[in-house]
Amino acid sequence: MTEIQALKQDFAGAMPADTRDIPVKRLWQRFEPIALGTGTIVILLLVWEFLPRIIPMKEGTKLFFTVPSQIAGTLWDMFATGSIWQPLGVSAAAFTVGLLLAVAAGLPLGVLLGRSATLNAMFDPFITAFNATPRLVFLPLLMLWFGIGLWSKVAIVFLGALFPILINTYEGVRNADKVLINVVRSFGATEWDIARLVVVPNSLPFIVVGLRLAIGRAVLGVVVAEFFGSQDGLGVVMVRAASQFKVDVVFAGLIVFAALSLIMTALVKLLEDRMSRWRPEHVNAN
Amino acid sequence: MAKEFAYRASFAQQHRKVLLGTLAVVLFLAAWQAIFLVVPFDPLFISKPSLIAAGFVDLVQSGELVHDLAVSAAPFFCGLIAAAVIGVPLGIVMGWRARVGYALDPLMTVFYASPLVALAPLLVIFFGVGLWGKTIIVFFLSVFPFIFNAYAGVHAVDRLLISVVRSLGGGEWDLYRTVIFPSVLPYVVAGARIAIGRALIAVLVGEFFAASEGIGYAISRLGDLFALDQMFGCILTVMVIAVVLTEGIRWGERTAFPWRVGR
Repeated sequence: MTEIQALKQDFAGAMPADTRDIPVKRLWQRFEPIALGTGTIVILLLVWEFLPRIIPMKEGTKLFFTVPSQIAGTLWDMFATGSIWQPLGVSAAAFTVGLLLAVAAGLPLGVLLGRSATLNAMFDPFITAFNATPRLVFLPLLMLWFGIGLWSKVAIVFLGALFPILINTYEGVRNADKVLINVVRSFGATEWDIARLVVVPNSLPFIVVGLRLAIGRAVLGVVVAEFFGSQDGLGVVMVRAASQFKVDVVFAGLIVFAALSLIMTALVKLLEDRMSRWRPEHVNAN
Repeated sequence: MAKEFAYRASFAQQHRKVLLGTLAVVLFLAAWQAIFLVVPFDPLFISKPSLIAAGFVDLVQSGELVHDLAVSAAPFFCGLIAAAVIGVPLGIVMGWRARVGYALDPLMTVFYASPLVALAPLLVIFFGVGLWGKTIIVFFLSVFPFIFNAYAGVHAVDRLLISVVRSLGGGEWDLYRTVIFPSVLPYVVAGARIAIGRALIAVLVGEFFAASEGIGYAISRLGDLFALDQMFGCILTVMVIAVVLTEGIRWGERTAFPWRVGR
């Protein structure tokens, strides 16, 4: 055997032929989704930014058309001059109060409905009807009843946020482990004990999903209520800006609302992680 | 010798849920009507079922209700159909071609998660108050559920089934017909259910903001006129339509795709 043949035999089983390619391929595979995703957004933003300079536009359209840099500038201005805090405070107040009321009403009611099949059957038509209807349809009525201040907004947020919480809590309670309930019962627990020890901890993932949905609907509720039935708040600022053709303010407001929604959802996730520490399978796919 | 006989629950027990539900609704209406025997009735503040029924009959007979519903239905259906026609293929392409999915997914998520309703006044100012403006709002709000559900539907297609069809000699068309279409359809129908809810919101937002016709405008106008019985009638009509559409699709999903329990 020649020297080369001997060397080849030595290394024969040790290295596959294309080992050199694999590290690079794996790196790209890991980054590809993120790269493509962010890349698309960046490209779209750039195209949007330079569109007015590339395509000639009529003077009328130029009045409407806004670009990302303008929106960013307006957003910065709003925060720097502090002009955003008062409207945002009003909106956030309505949002928070409505959401808290919905949680305070929805959680106990959901547990109650989950435990009692009779009550569930009786409430079901109302829940289905209210869940399917867009809350917006009640706005004129609520404005008649509560006026155009804080409470009509709170009412819309409450109606929007109540049903996801209610329905998801109910689902969670129904899925509570019957074995555990029987164990606790055989140790002499009352209904309240059963709820506290078994049902509520077990339904936590469901409740969290309900909270997430409720937050989304609550933000929608605040925006919509402020468009039509309010005197101050971020939504009112947006509507006024829209009628003055200040499109950048409208987009800036939209971004603030979206950020609010994202922050609340992240808070809920933190809360959930904190409360789920006792779970053996602490891997959340939610 | 044990006598075996079939035990059938009584009629009341079998249909317990529906009966209890109906009972609850009847009790609620009766209580609503009866409470004014004790509580003073302020016609500017609230209405009673008897007056609401009378007002409703009035509206139907004068043809106003039907006309308003027709005016609202046009942008609703146009926008929904446009959203389905554009959204479902887009979602399928996103699911089928992984790279397109990677590229568009974050963008679509951003759109889906932000309260696009906030742009409604802007869209009305741009596109006007008539059919076109409302259709655009409906389209933008309802396209994203279609896209995401079609995307999820394609992702849910079982690769094993595709291999089976191919190994049994199936062509592209067989693949679509036997595997892809039945897998994607339940997701698309669920997406349609969500999109319908959003489309209703979009129609109402468009009409509340600036319109001279349509059911949303009717509710708003009747509120301004303090015609509470007719206003309640219109609100209840919208509720009934919403429930019929949503529950109708749910029933359709359960009947046509019984293997898919829940979402």
